Amino acid sequence: MWYIKKMKKILFLTLVLLLSSNVFAIDEKAVLEENSIQTRINNVAAKILNENAYDKRIVFVYDKKAKESALKNCSKLTKREVIVYDKNYKFIESDDELAGYLSREIQAAYRSYDGIAKGALSAIKMKAAPKKYELIYDKLALDAMVKAGYNPLGLIVYINKTAPQARQDFLSNKNLTSKRLAYLYERIYFKYPEFLKDNKYTDNKYYQNFLLTSQNNRRMLEYKARSKNYRLEIEYE
Amino acid sequence: MNRLFLLLFMAIMVCICGCSYAYNYESTLEIPIEFRIQNDILSEKSVYEGEKINFVVEKDLFYDKHYLAKKGDVFTAEVQAVITSGMNGIPASIIFNNFHINEIPPSKLTSSFEVFGQDRSLWVFPLKWALTPLPPTGSLTNFIKGGKAKVKKDKLFTIYYHPEW
Repeated sequence: MWYIKKMKKILFLTLVLLLSSNVFAIDEKAVLEENSIQTRINNVAAKILNENAYDKRIVFVYDKKAKESALKNCSKLTKREVIVYDKNYKFIESDDELAGYLSREIQAAYRSYDGIAKGALSAIKMKAAPKKYELIYDKLALDAMVKAGYNPLGLIVYINKTAPQARQDFLSNKNLTSKRLAYLYERIYFKYPEFLKDNKYTDNKYYQNFLLTSQNNRRMLEYKARSKNYRLEIEYE
Repeated sequence: MNRLFLLLFMAIMVCICGCSYAYNYESTLEIPIEFRIQNDILSEKSVYEGEKINFVVEKDLFYDKHYLAKKGDVFTAEVQAVITSGMNGIPASIIFNNFHINEIPPSKLTSSFEVFGQDRSLWVFPLKWALTPLPPTGSLTNFIKGGKAKVKKDKLFTIYYHPEW
């Protein structure tokens, strides 16, 4: 009866082989999909880095499984590795939006190079005052996007789609999203008005939603523009 | 037929130009440009983002037997961002960019430089951590603010010109 035992063994091994080959086939498809996303991220990121002449190394990783956590070490500040989380990437449609997302992350990573202890103190400062630096990243990201040839309205569209609106930001370590969007719009309004004159986002429903929900803030901005008082700091809602 | 070929040729050339990069970072040559501010900035609150600020070239700038800028030449830079001072001794800072020095293309210059106020976080953070076992004394360090960003005439700045980029 030794051959029945052998047959069973062969049958079992064949079954395992068949099953595993199927698993590999699925894996290969997933890998190819991830590779295409990673290539897209790398293309946009390299363009931003090169066009802005950022002379420090920053790498970009698309990670489907990683989850952002406030308590974890921030790899963009410690390793200068920007992680593109799946929960963020799923909102991105155009390259402008992707450029907006990456430009913000690049600002943090790039600024973490300079300063005492090879940038360690800068990183601690950025981690200790996220609310302050959030607005700075937004502003610098806009400039980097424009320099790399992307439409800065992409960042407004991306933030409008992804960032929730809290009740208040007085006790929070983040700014109100409406406030961030208003500051971004103000920067585009004064610094890059050509993008608003020849607005390619007029037909974009997310941009229209931003316009709809930012009327009060835009009224305040119009007042600033009319008064030509560029030092005026508007208290956006 | 000739017109068709001409159009085709022009389309190909436009494609080639569009695909080519506007930069080539092969060269490592860099020429320092030293300068000072023309009028003192006493605090980050006295400037606004987008404001043009005048700087004065400190030394003659030569490249390839040509003067690019002479000592005393005034050029402008833009205030890219103003960062106010924060809790835990985080200093204020002013970021300048868009340098327009005579005929030098801005893309061949250092893209930006930042002027910081007094950085008190260097001793505030260790103090905060040392006081953490005695709550709430550690949190009191939150109220120590960083220094103002001042730009004075006696401070010399350097940016770099990369002629072959």
